[in-house]
Amino acid sequence: MTTVQLIAVGVLQALLLLIAAPLYSGFVRVMRAKIHSRKGPPLTQNYRDLFKLMNRQEVISEQAGWIFRITPYLTLAAMLLVALILPILTVWSPLGMVGDLILIIYLFALPRVFFSIAGLETGNSFGAVGVRRELLMSALVEPILILVVFVMALLAGTTNLGGISSQVVARTLPYSMGFWLSMASFAFATFVEMGKLPFDVGEAEQELQEGPLAEYSGRSLAIMKWGIYLKQLVLVGLFLALFLPFGSMSSLTAVGGLVALISFALKALAFFFVAAFLENIMARTRFMKAPAATWLALGSAVLSFVFYLANV
Amino acid sequence: MLETIEQTKSGYRYVAALREQFGRAVQDESWQAPDQVTLTVDLNTLPAIVSWLYYQQGGWLAVVAANDERPLNGNFALYYVLSVEGNGSEPAQNSDKCYMVVRGLVPPYQPEFPAVTPHVPAAVWYEREVRDMFGLQPVGIQDERRLVLPDDWPEDLYPLRKDTMDYRLRPEPTTENETYEFLDIGDEELVQIPLGPLHITSDEPGHFRLFVDGEHIVDADYRLFYVHRGMEKLAETRMNYDQVPFLADRICGICGYAHNVAYANSIERALDITIPERAHYIRTILLEVERLHSHLLNLGLACHFVGFDTGFMQLFRVREKAMQMAEVLTGTRKTYGMNLIGGVRRDILKDQRVQTLKWIAELRQEVTSLVSILLETPYIVQRTQNVGRLEPQVARDYSPVGPTLRGSGFDRDIRVIHPYSAYDRVPWTTSYKDGCDVLARTLVRAEEFFTSLSLVETCLETMPEGPILVEDFQYKPYRFALGYVEAPRGEDIHWSMLGDNQKLYRWRCRASSYNNWPPLRYMLRNNTISDAPLIVASIDPCYSCTERVTVVDVRKKKAQIIPYKEMERYCRERKDSPLKT
Repeated sequence: MTTVQLIAVGVLQALLLLIAAPLYSGFVRVMRAKIHSRKGPPLTQNYRDLFKLMNRQEVISEQAGWIFRITPYLTLAAMLLVALILPILTVWSPLGMVGDLILIIYLFALPRVFFSIAGLETGNSFGAVGVRRELLMSALVEPILILVVFVMALLAGTTNLGGISSQVVARTLPYSMGFWLSMASFAFATFVEMGKLPFDVGEAEQELQEGPLAEYSGRSLAIMKWGIYLKQLVLVGLFLALFLPFGSMSSLTAVGGLVALISFALKALAFFFVAAFLENIMARTRFMKAPAATWLALGSAVLSFVFYLANV
Repeated sequence: MLETIEQTKSGYRYVAALREQFGRAVQDESWQAPDQVTLTVDLNTLPAIVSWLYYQQGGWLAVVAANDERPLNGNFALYYVLSVEGNGSEPAQNSDKCYMVVRGLVPPYQPEFPAVTPHVPAAVWYEREVRDMFGLQPVGIQDERRLVLPDDWPEDLYPLRKDTMDYRLRPEPTTENETYEFLDIGDEELVQIPLGPLHITSDEPGHFRLFVDGEHIVDADYRLFYVHRGMEKLAETRMNYDQVPFLADRICGICGYAHNVAYANSIERALDITIPERAHYIRTILLEVERLHSHLLNLGLACHFVGFDTGFMQLFRVREKAMQMAEVLTGTRKTYGMNLIGGVRRDILKDQRVQTLKWIAELRQEVTSLVSILLETPYIVQRTQNVGRLEPQVARDYSPVGPTLRGSGFDRDIRVIHPYSAYDRVPWTTSYKDGCDVLARTLVRAEEFFTSLSLVETCLETMPEGPILVEDFQYKPYRFALGYVEAPRGEDIHWSMLGDNQKLYRWRCRASSYNNWPPLRYMLRNNTISDAPLIVASIDPCYSCTERVTVVDVRKKKAQIIPYKEMERYCRERKDSPLKT
């Protein structure tokens, strides 16, 4: 495949993810309604919400500065960039020359930093509390992500995502104990990063009135929401690329592309299904107790590293 | 009639002891019912008497009613109503339990009285309200802020005085800004978090100010009464006796029928009307049906506030059956419009009974499984145990009522202590827990739900035949008495005095939440802000039924909220935004 082709694939998949992201979140909403025994919104409700918000007037707090204004756009842009790099349709990373796993991890961290500052900027006291929680959660979850990513990189011998994906597909990467533990911790970290109950303490509606998000309105809120929807989908995409890249094409064909597209859609759907199910059978954890759960996942990530060292 | 009272009056022991202890300070006694006595006492001795009854004789402060009796005897009157239940020194007998009303007269030329609050903290809201509504100054009360009247209400306009104002009057505001001073606890380091005036999870206006250190609540203060409706004034000025029940229904969207029964009881006691047995049973059934849907609502909200929306929605689905039960029994989904003075308006027919019994069996089954799911859901117990503790001593000092009190180890249920309707005719047991926390209050509600199911069942099966309404009685002016009902959230109590113009002279209705708000401050302390809404919800507060008096211009209210920049996006009309950029 030529670089041009790869870039074309990357742009295509980024666009597809951007368009599909509200649909997946809509699916979660529908599932939530079904578990609640409610009729619930239609699948496409999120698109309507976004469209509605785009046309709404925007109100910005007097205290807010430029960071508050650019955060929604920055969030969406960072997630789009991740969407360009992830190997989703192909087993190679479409923009592999631009960045690897480490860049992706920091592309997730970047919007969070801006989001946190934006939350503080508005002077909303609920926002400040939300930010504190948000940062603490990231401090708890980031080590898990990074550790797992390193183990996978060490197992595959490369930090290039495409490299890892193609090795998993080709089964040259050993299905060791370390691999499975990595997968479990990464799945957990993805669940937390998606902002799902019981770990959505930063934007807890009942407790903090949605925290930092509360100050956004109109177009900014729409972009912000879209960014969050996309973030959830690319997080799942990252998980799938690392651990379950089956179905992605290794050479560029129309049939291969279709198979890759459908298989990704189904895998992501399965992940969202499980996440939504778990989310709805639990209460929100008390914020102070959240570390107890994340320590467990970190432990499992560390263990996977140990397994790698011990070569089992 | 007086003879029957002589034979059975139950508070006689206390009256004798009071006369012995305080001598000539007790000026007069009168009995309104076998278990209700009103003592007129010397105003300066009143705090000592109330405090003696409260702490020495096991009294609980039920209500304080002020009354403008200048047209009757030239004075304002204060009625401190205590439910005296014995101090445990002798084996408790129901005959020892009575309502003692301590009455003091305040002369109009010196409109002040010694406050009871320094002795009995439970009186704090009542005395602040008396000051707002009647302009009688409680001397010695620390908290001199307004309680009920809005901040832009003119000074020297006391709405419940007979000669003050027409109920339709809306005085001009005196200030553009909200001037309510929240407590200053003097620590600059602490962050203040405004929870309200409109909060996303309470859906009713109330402004809580939390003083927090990080996530930790150090202290709390609150301003309520944003939604006064002027009900007492309305009833006193333009409604006749049989119209007031329909107004009492509207005091609360949940426990309206409890208020309705309490009002009807108060008039029936004042006039010594004996209502038919069957009416007693019908009232009991409907009161319990009301408890069914109220408790399901609160259990659902408890789920909602810990983020377990699935439980919330499932409980609401089941709750629909309780609403339908009300519809079958009364014709409306709420148990509205059923009472008249002297009985009820509508009988329960056989097919209605059969249908209700069927639903009860279904409800019992479904709620049993939902409650067990709820308690087994991850994090529920973690989120509710030891959260929002109401220490027994605080509870004793502030007289909270209902499950709020029963969650703190007190087995106090008006249905047993002062039986009304058919509660002393059917067998049942009360529920209480020692946990003092949100979990305990929730469990009390869950248990009471099942008790209510059995009560409805038993009453339906055993209720006697016969008439449901008596009408051969006459209204006699200036009689007064108490009516009380254990509503789902606790004791609702009405103090009514009849007038000489087919209208009430004075109607003081106290909703259960009124007694539960003051101790809330102590429940919020030492918790995290994330638990604040949960704790507020655990007393199952009813904002609107606490707030019955005077009228507030809603649009005006919005304008006043502006200083709270953090919250105003909820309340503002977008095109007028002062913060538009």
